[in-house]
Amino acid sequence: MPAPRPTALERQYARLGVLLIAPTVLVFCAVIVYPLVSAIYLSLFQIFTPTLQGSWVGLDNYRALLARGEFWTSLQNNLIWTVGTLTLQILFGVAMALVLHQNLWFRSLARSLILFPYFVSTVVAVLVWKWVFNDLYGILNHFMLTLGIIDWPIDYLGTMPNAMISIILVGAWKYFPFVVIAVLARLQTIPEALYEAARIDGAGPVARFFDITLPQLREVLVVIILLRAIWDFKEFDLIYLMTGGGPVIATQTLPLLVYKEAFAVNQMGMASAYAVVMMAIMLAFMIVYIRRTRERG
Amino acid sequence: MTGQKPFGLTRRHALAGLAATSALAAVPFRAAAQTVTLRWWSPQAAPAQLEAYLAQIAAFEALHPGVKVTFEKTSDEGYAPQLAAAFASGDVPDVVTHLPSFAVQTYYANGLIEPFDEVIEAIGVDNYYPGANEVFRTPDGRHCATGIGNSAANMLWVRRDLMRDAGIDKIPETWDELRSACRKMQKGGIFGAPLPYGRNGMTSLIFIGVIHQAGGQVFTPDLEIALDSDATRNALEFYKSMRELCPPGATNYSWGESLTAFVSGATATGIYTGRVLINVATQNPALADEITCATYPRLSTDVAPWTFNDFASVFIPAQSRNKDWAKRFAAFIFDAPGYIRQLHAAPGHVLPVLRTIGENPAYLDNPIIQKYKPEVELMSASAAGGFNLGYESAAHRSNAKAGEIIAAHAIADMVQRVVLNNESADAAIAEAVRAIDAIMKA
Repeated sequence: MPAPRPTALERQYARLGVLLIAPTVLVFCAVIVYPLVSAIYLSLFQIFTPTLQGSWVGLDNYRALLARGEFWTSLQNNLIWTVGTLTLQILFGVAMALVLHQNLWFRSLARSLILFPYFVSTVVAVLVWKWVFNDLYGILNHFMLTLGIIDWPIDYLGTMPNAMISIILVGAWKYFPFVVIAVLARLQTIPEALYEAARIDGAGPVARFFDITLPQLREVLVVIILLRAIWDFKEFDLIYLMTGGGPVIATQTLPLLVYKEAFAVNQMGMASAYAVVMMAIMLAFMIVYIRRTRERG
Repeated sequence: MTGQKPFGLTRRHALAGLAATSALAAVPFRAAAQTVTLRWWSPQAAPAQLEAYLAQIAAFEALHPGVKVTFEKTSDEGYAPQLAAAFASGDVPDVVTHLPSFAVQTYYANGLIEPFDEVIEAIGVDNYYPGANEVFRTPDGRHCATGIGNSAANMLWVRRDLMRDAGIDKIPETWDELRSACRKMQKGGIFGAPLPYGRNGMTSLIFIGVIHQAGGQVFTPDLEIALDSDATRNALEFYKSMRELCPPGATNYSWGESLTAFVSGATATGIYTGRVLINVATQNPALADEITCATYPRLSTDVAPWTFNDFASVFIPAQSRNKDWAKRFAAFIFDAPGYIRQLHAAPGHVLPVLRTIGENPAYLDNPIIQKYKPEVELMSASAAGGFNLGYESAAHRSNAKAGEIIAAHAIADMVQRVVLNNESADAAIAEAVRAIDAIMKA
């Protein structure tokens, strides 16, 4: 049986629907699709950034980057940074959320203050931390020298592994409040009856955490880890301002390498190739991660 | 549901109203665009300098009603990416000042810079010190920019009080003398020197000077890479030997940290331009009577001193929408009262390129310039005979890739590999040669 022809009113509403959704589609194309296609297109050229003039090189940029040790070192640094800072964010974040979930007299104030690192501008945060780490005037070296823990100032940002450890710690400090907010919100919705039943069954605090709290937090932690892994993987400003990727390229991550290729060496085509590869890596991780969580579910 | 429209407004009317409002909103913008606005970029913007620039802007705007000039600060480490993005987007400043000559040559070679000869004519060719604009001469026989000031970036600054206490009777001229002096003066929480070991432009620029102070060069006059030499190995060895005489955090030092280390009294020697003078006078006057400067020591006295001069420039991007006004403003920057005030904002740091200003009693009438007359004269002479990576010697061709080599940290990485990673000099040099070669061929 043929479908009934839409009435004039239905056609009018259909057109209106298209008209109303068009701005969203246009904005989506402008801010997501166009840059994406543009980056892939640019990656097939050798382009001088200031003039945006260049020549077609096909897949040569990809061949070149895969053959360069700098790419693999930067990728390795990227993974170390992401795993390191994300792990600390989750540990600090969950621990702090558990503390703030207790009936403390300063709970409201603490909940507000805990957000401070997340809201403060990265530039300001880095300036403060560089001052804290400063070898001559930094409070950290000053206290450690005064207390006799060290007899020579520590170089926190200029040597390895100090530089990587420092940026991981600062990254964890800066972004753990995000975990606190999300976990705290979930903690407040866990039924108290579950804990009461566990107590009656003789479960201690540790057992209650692993058998009730953690399973209840699982879904929110999956979302947090997914989001923060993406954001941390593409982190640029904090690392660039803290170490500039040094010493040599020991803390240079892929976003810094993209920036260097695009604006220091003025090779926009190669920079785009790095960016496309970076996107592909993130996509692969996301697919694997989503599949695993689905299987477990 | 009756389908009645609130206030009787139909969708068609609403869309027509939105279109009319949008069109109306565009009208004031078009009218406002008829006044000329010039954008001025500079990485040199300490508070006193900024004050001087704003005075020059006010004077220019008073002379030319309808012209507005806005100042935008960039930075020594950040101008290259910022300008690359500006050129790529076409949203360029109209006048750019204080960028090193080698960066300007790169831009000119790619057609991004307006020839500057007209402005030089307007300022007065005879007013310049002889040869002051040679570094800006382009292969097509024009000038891509002019100098706004000279600077002697790698002067050795010393404290006489510490030298006296350590029994040192003369300012070091050779690396051995410098090392020995730093060792004697390094005590009581004071380090010997604030040499930069960071992954940044300062490390590259200073180390290029050290290579020359060993009698070497980065490029031959025909721009073949000449880094793989005994001079570079000697320079790396010296630089590594100085590490123990520098503060631990020197591994991350750039211009600001290095300057502060000496001015604050944390190091016995310094390596910087004449900005040291005003900073000591305002931030640590207790040192004011004890500091002096000399050209930086070299491998031996047989090697001539080599001063790094970035030849701070003024240029006009070719994409500027107000080139005529930009040229007028660029020439106006050199008008005596404003230019002298600008130079006085950091006396000894930016040295005049105009003979008529250098001899002007109003310029010389400055307490810092008078107090440190021998130092200012030495810096002026050193800077006038100075070079940089884009112009390594009078015999060298202009190197349009110098800016990219500095921005890519090829030289700084070489230093860090040897000093921080303990890699062999040969391996580090080979890696630097590979990186520079790739940039030269790109």
